[in-house]
Amino acid sequence: MTVAVLDPHEVRIGRRQAVAQASALARRSIRGTIRQPQVWLPGLLFPMFIAAVNTSTMGKAVEFLPGFEGVDSLLDFLLPASITQSVLFGGLTAGSDTATDIQTGFFDRLLASPVSRTSILVGRLAGASVTGAFQAVVFMAIYGAFGVRVAAGLPGALLLIVYAMVLALVIGGFAAMLALRTGSAEAVQNVFPLTFIGLFISSAFFPTSSMSGLYRSIATRNPVTWMVDGMRHQVIVGLDWGEAATSIGVAAGLAVLAIYGAQRALRTRLRRAA
Amino acid sequence: MNPIEAEGLVRRFGEIVAVDGVDLVVEQGEIFGFLGPNGAGKSTLVRMLTTLLRPTAGTARVAGYDVVAEAGSVRRSIGVALQDAAIDPLMTGRELVRLQAVLHGISRAEADKRGEVLLARVGLTGAADRRVGTYSGGMRRRLDLALALVHEPTVLFLDEPTTGLDPTSRVSLWEEVRRLNGEGTTVFLTTQYLEEADELAGRIAIIDGGKIVREGNPAVLKAAVGAHTLVVTVPAAQERQATDVLRTFGEERAAKPGSVTIGLTDGPAALSGALRSLEDAGVTVEHVELDAPSLDDVFADATGRRLEGADAGEPVEEAG
Repeated sequence: MTVAVLDPHEVRIGRRQAVAQASALARRSIRGTIRQPQVWLPGLLFPMFIAAVNTSTMGKAVEFLPGFEGVDSLLDFLLPASITQSVLFGGLTAGSDTATDIQTGFFDRLLASPVSRTSILVGRLAGASVTGAFQAVVFMAIYGAFGVRVAAGLPGALLLIVYAMVLALVIGGFAAMLALRTGSAEAVQNVFPLTFIGLFISSAFFPTSSMSGLYRSIATRNPVTWMVDGMRHQVIVGLDWGEAATSIGVAAGLAVLAIYGAQRALRTRLRRAA
Repeated sequence: MNPIEAEGLVRRFGEIVAVDGVDLVVEQGEIFGFLGPNGAGKSTLVRMLTTLLRPTAGTARVAGYDVVAEAGSVRRSIGVALQDAAIDPLMTGRELVRLQAVLHGISRAEADKRGEVLLARVGLTGAADRRVGTYSGGMRRRLDLALALVHEPTVLFLDEPTTGLDPTSRVSLWEEVRRLNGEGTTVFLTTQYLEEADELAGRIAIIDGGKIVREGNPAVLKAAVGAHTLVVTVPAAQERQATDVLRTFGEERAAKPGSVTIGLTDGPAALSGALRSLEDAGVTVEHVELDAPSLDDVFADATGRRLEGADAGEPVEEAG
């Protein structure tokens, strides 16, 4: 006799309990990140190192190169890029930690309990998002110590934090999707260099007006450019809701895609297991 | 209503039939031992009963709920400690108990209260605030048990709970399982250790090749196998000769390489006669064992293979 065709992984629970579960799993995610300095420290140090090298070697370029009009220091210019780069590091952790849970069997422990399947994903991404906010605050504080001031003031700083949180959902969502599809932490980590291609072929480190040919053509169409430029405007020029909306809107659009992809991957994994 | 009932349960992975038509009833308050070599289908069956895997065919009810149609209710009613104690090494024991409690909808205050009791119960109060990564294998297993109990389940699934543990940790876990069972929890225990099943289970089932080949009370099953087993180790060159001699004292049974195993028809009384006959035939006896029937004999009787040290599909030696 064949059993009824129902998804055995569906769990019907109240919204309040689902929120409590997602919060608990988000706290676990954040705690796990904090307790692995080897995971988050490179994500802070590497962008700072890149910024330090750039400002040392090309600090004067802002005075004469096109595209740097109104830029007082290269560090001002690089702040949104550094936050973006750091969030790329951190967001991938959401994927590799998910894959590790699958590999170690912790994922099965969650599935064997009456936890909402959506809470598993939401918890992980919420953790990544909070980590993203923390990264943005750290960069603003440290670059601030070197004279960087967000021209848009407190609202601008808050926009940078929101941007980092949404961007973490984008990276975390795509990384979780990959983790759920492959079940391999190594696969997630190996994707990391590819995300850097997206970052480098953008306006993150140089204005698009200083680029030429195909590189410029790709960079101007790269969503990373739209996101970084919008945030850069808040740092260098001042508060501009239109620029902020473009930046965060693009990130939010990508986040929706990433989370949808991760949700699909989760369903596929559960269906495959069932 | 029995806590666990399965009827015609089948699970296929492509062409492979991992579980092949299992019928099972586990009664309220018993420790049910599920024995079998690696790859026999034990974990697949547990994954189906704990809702992690959908049966290809058949039905199963756990704690009164259908494992497919009412999976959420099953999960609320069962405690599960799967193989390898999958526990986040970055969290502390106390944090994990809290997390598990929240996942089961238990309030923070109640979770803390239960956590204290459970951690004390499994002897981890002193280590509760240490990261699990610093725990020994035995401590992890005990924490795993505490996590499985946090929502006070009526049915507890323990999938090879003592694999890889040292003897002291194993005995300590056995005591805890007995204590739990004494309090009324029904325990479904899979193991590849015969001694464990013998020690703990009131009833056992032996699975081989996805099918249950024996089921019942261990003592009854052992008695049904019959005679005491004589195991004689002889030089390889004399194995055939020794077998011929000993066959006159009983039926040959599956044996490990380098030894001859006979079920002594007349029991221990026939031992001296058997040894004398071997001596008369010029066979050099290197080692002798006389064993009362064991679960390994039950397994061998059912499958023609020895369970101890054997993996599924890898017979040690087929019986005559």
